[in-house]
Amino acid sequence: MSFSYTLRESVSGFRRAMVSSLLSVATITISLILVGIFAAVTINASRLIDTLRSRLDMEAFLTEPVTEDEVTGLQSRITDLEGIEKVVFISKDEAMKVFKQETGDDITKVLDFNPLPPSFKIMLKEPYRTSAKTHAIYERITAIQGVDTVVYRRVLLELIDQRSASVNKVMLGLGIAVSLTAIFLVANTIRLAITAKRRLIRTMELVGATRGFIRRPFIIEGVLQGFFGGLAASGIMFLLFEYAAKLVSEEFAPYLRMPPLFYVSVLGTGMLLGLAGSLISVVRFVRPAAAG
Amino acid sequence: MISFKGVSVDFGSHTLLKDITLQIKPGEFVFLVGQTGSGKSTVLRLIYMDILPTRGTVFVGKHCSASIQLREIPFLRRELGVVFQDFKLLEDRSVYDNVAFTLHVTGTPAAEIKKKVMHTLGDVGLSHARNKMAHELSGGEQQRVAIARALANNPTFLLADEPTGNLDPGTSLEILTLLKGINMRGTAVVMATHNYDIVRKAKERILKIEEGGIREVDAPF
Repeated sequence: MSFSYTLRESVSGFRRAMVSSLLSVATITISLILVGIFAAVTINASRLIDTLRSRLDMEAFLTEPVTEDEVTGLQSRITDLEGIEKVVFISKDEAMKVFKQETGDDITKVLDFNPLPPSFKIMLKEPYRTSAKTHAIYERITAIQGVDTVVYRRVLLELIDQRSASVNKVMLGLGIAVSLTAIFLVANTIRLAITAKRRLIRTMELVGATRGFIRRPFIIEGVLQGFFGGLAASGIMFLLFEYAAKLVSEEFAPYLRMPPLFYVSVLGTGMLLGLAGSLISVVRFVRPAAAG
Repeated sequence: MISFKGVSVDFGSHTLLKDITLQIKPGEFVFLVGQTGSGKSTVLRLIYMDILPTRGTVFVGKHCSASIQLREIPFLRRELGVVFQDFKLLEDRSVYDNVAFTLHVTGTPAAEIKKKVMHTLGDVGLSHARNKMAHELSGGEQQRVAIARALANNPTFLLADEPTGNLDPGTSLEILTLLKGINMRGTAVVMATHNYDIVRKAKERILKIEEGGIREVDAPF
């Protein structure tokens, strides 16, 4: 059997049973919107957690007095440690400026000297922004001679770890449930379409069609339905997210704008859903020529 | 050659066919007669191996029921043409596509398919109806399409299971004439029927199934 015949049969099958084909496409579209919105929420929850983690810098205050050479040496030692992304030196004067910006108070009016120590603002690489890994780095930096004190928001980081672990578990559970529901819905719709064609399949068997010959057009038809379902779901979600992005403040709008890869994935998932649905159905319904 | 050797078929505790032995040669025209439920269709189903014998062996050409694999059955069916009482046409496609389907199944090249379909539809007198859908045709015309479909692959044997069962007497005779013509051109025809008028008129070999056995008779009753 030529591929062009299979493709023609698949397209004809789609057109001949237009109502059930459109029903399958609609089911795939709804399932994908369900999965897509869920994925968007998961992606954004993960983005939010990452943003929070990236804001939790570590600060290492230096023992005074400290020379410029010592600062350079300390900076390179800390930079060389595993998990360090960036180390920025904050001099006593800069610390004073930051203090003034943050509190509005000018210490020099109360004291005749600057009590703020020089420090390093330390940013960690993304995989090291967990409480356990951050604490290990904290201990290594604390042990360096010339570093007086190291501070970071340990309690908040631990809280984020706990919460994100719970969020991940819930999301994983929900994700599996939503995906299984989608596969069930699609398989069931395609199964109904194939059940309606049972007489047709029986006749095909009786005139000598092999299982593969009967199955292939149904499978391609499923993939086609998945493609159209994916296309519709991508379009609807794009319009939905764009509309929602206009309703919220500019700060939150980027969270609603999904990258092109997201829509490509929705399309791909649609085709996979169509493939899985039609495979499950044809394997069940187009069995070996009945004998015995 | 179709050959049954000591074939029995049980359905649950009921034995429908008992120890049947028969031979049908290429080029023959054979009627299978018997009362409704006597096992005429079962004999045909044994030939196209829709069921396998409980005991004994069926040989169809080079295929043997005792050793045939499930995946080989479609290839056996391509060597046969089968016509049913309820036509079993592919209702979602045209007359042309119904006949073309069996040729697609065997991987016949597209150019040849067109030629063969037109030729076969010409043989059954339905060239003019090639673009019609199956349900737009009369019963007699639908049976002609089914016969054209069965003939498309030039089978050695044409099996017809009550092909006139749903047709009026006039149309039944037309179908018989068509089948006789096909037989004259060399295709063996095995026709199960309880239409004894047709059997009498045709004057061909008659196999009667009665109480599970099969015997050759001169007249249907």
